[in-house]
Amino acid sequence: MPFFRNKRLFIFLIGFIVLVALIGFSLKDRENLSMVEQFINDTVGWAQNIVHTPVTYITGIFKNIDDLRNTYNENQILREQLGEYKGLVYDVQELKEENEELRDALELIESDSIRNFHPIQATVISRSPEQWLDEVTINKGKQDGVSENMVVITAEGMVGKIQTAQHYTSKVQLLTGFDQFNRISATISRGDQNDIFGMIEGFDDETNTLMFRIIEESDKDVEEGEMVVSSGMGGVFPAGMVIGAVTEVVPDQYGLTRTALVEPAADLYEINHVMVLDRQAAEPEEEEEEEE
Amino acid sequence: MKRLYVPLILFLFLILEGVAIKFLPSRFVLGEQLMVPHWVLVLLIYVAVFYDRGNKSQAVIYAIIFGLLVDIVYTGILGVYMFSYAFVIYIIQNLKKLLHGNFFVMLLFSILGLVLSDMFITFIYDLVDIIVLNWDNYWLERLLPTVLLNLVFFVALYPILAKRLMEWGSENNWD
Repeated sequence: MPFFRNKRLFIFLIGFIVLVALIGFSLKDRENLSMVEQFINDTVGWAQNIVHTPVTYITGIFKNIDDLRNTYNENQILREQLGEYKGLVYDVQELKEENEELRDALELIESDSIRNFHPIQATVISRSPEQWLDEVTINKGKQDGVSENMVVITAEGMVGKIQTAQHYTSKVQLLTGFDQFNRISATISRGDQNDIFGMIEGFDDETNTLMFRIIEESDKDVEEGEMVVSSGMGGVFPAGMVIGAVTEVVPDQYGLTRTALVEPAADLYEINHVMVLDRQAAEPEEEEEEEE
Repeated sequence: MKRLYVPLILFLFLILEGVAIKFLPSRFVLGEQLMVPHWVLVLLIYVAVFYDRGNKSQAVIYAIIFGLLVDIVYTGILGVYMFSYAFVIYIIQNLKKLLHGNFFVMLLFSILGLVLSDMFITFIYDLVDIIVLNWDNYWLERLLPTVLLNLVFFVALYPILAKRLMEWGSENNWD
């Protein structure tokens, strides 16, 4: 039956063409997902939410029991730290007032500052089983004000950015999956105008660190343990978000610039509650995060 | 009503794939080894062997639909899972005619299906530069743990699903 043999081959080839077309379609720089994809993502997200809630509740109980054991020790340490904070509170208060006065003098309004943001609380409902892609899904979407490229943080620091936003759920690209297309403008803050500026240019799988390419050198060398924070110059992320601490400084392959390896401050594997930050200052025309 | 059981179960495990991996202890995820649940594929192999009768090939159609759903929900790159799942199920459906469907044959099918589909997915991702891959490390760091994880899932499901799928299949094919 040569006809059937050919038919099979025919179907196989058509399938292959469809595969190539679909991959090509999804790799194209798409502004928004198609309606069908958004609908499916939201439906699955809704179902995941239902499954996720009781499971978190049960695991939460076990975790609480575990936490109770450590409570006494933690309490002692926290009490000591509280004493130190009291002094800091007064300092902060005073600095804030001074800052406000100076701002008034300069006639800057609140929303002009790149430090200001509006947080949106969200819960992680699933993680992509395809572990190379490092995506998680959160239970807030466009309806709650989430939109693409917003930064996602936990209490410890930055974890990623919004890759796509659907109506009720959105997908987060974690820092571990960042590449040269997802750069963060970052800085190591020092007194006396000695700040070091650079870009987070991707994640190194071998050392499990982010690569921070130093653009503007300071007189002093970068030391281990220094904090890298976002600079807010990229146009999308607010300034002052903790990214991580420097673990090592290495020269790049041409020996012209140097790259600091930065260990992310946040735990990128056990993420439950996150905040999406909506920067209040207006975005400039071009988004540098997405360029190049 | 019984017609709907298979797609419903498939959909349930599609959802669970994403939720379950969040609750895996972090040292599994953090370590060198990557474990990828292909639970939908394992279920599809069950459907192909036990549910389909004769020349009916509902499993391939389910593979196309649910492969596409995995693509949309978890990766955003359409077509990769769809094509590899459908291809693997098609092969298994042809092999089914040669071997009788008992536990060990199923085990063999599952290993074959998992290895083929995971390699195919990795190959395509590597081809279109979504991941940068070292093939030398791939065998031990991803393929082996992935196949083992899914085989555990396969063995756990065997006593629950095998007979039931056959019942549903025979009822479905009678009418």
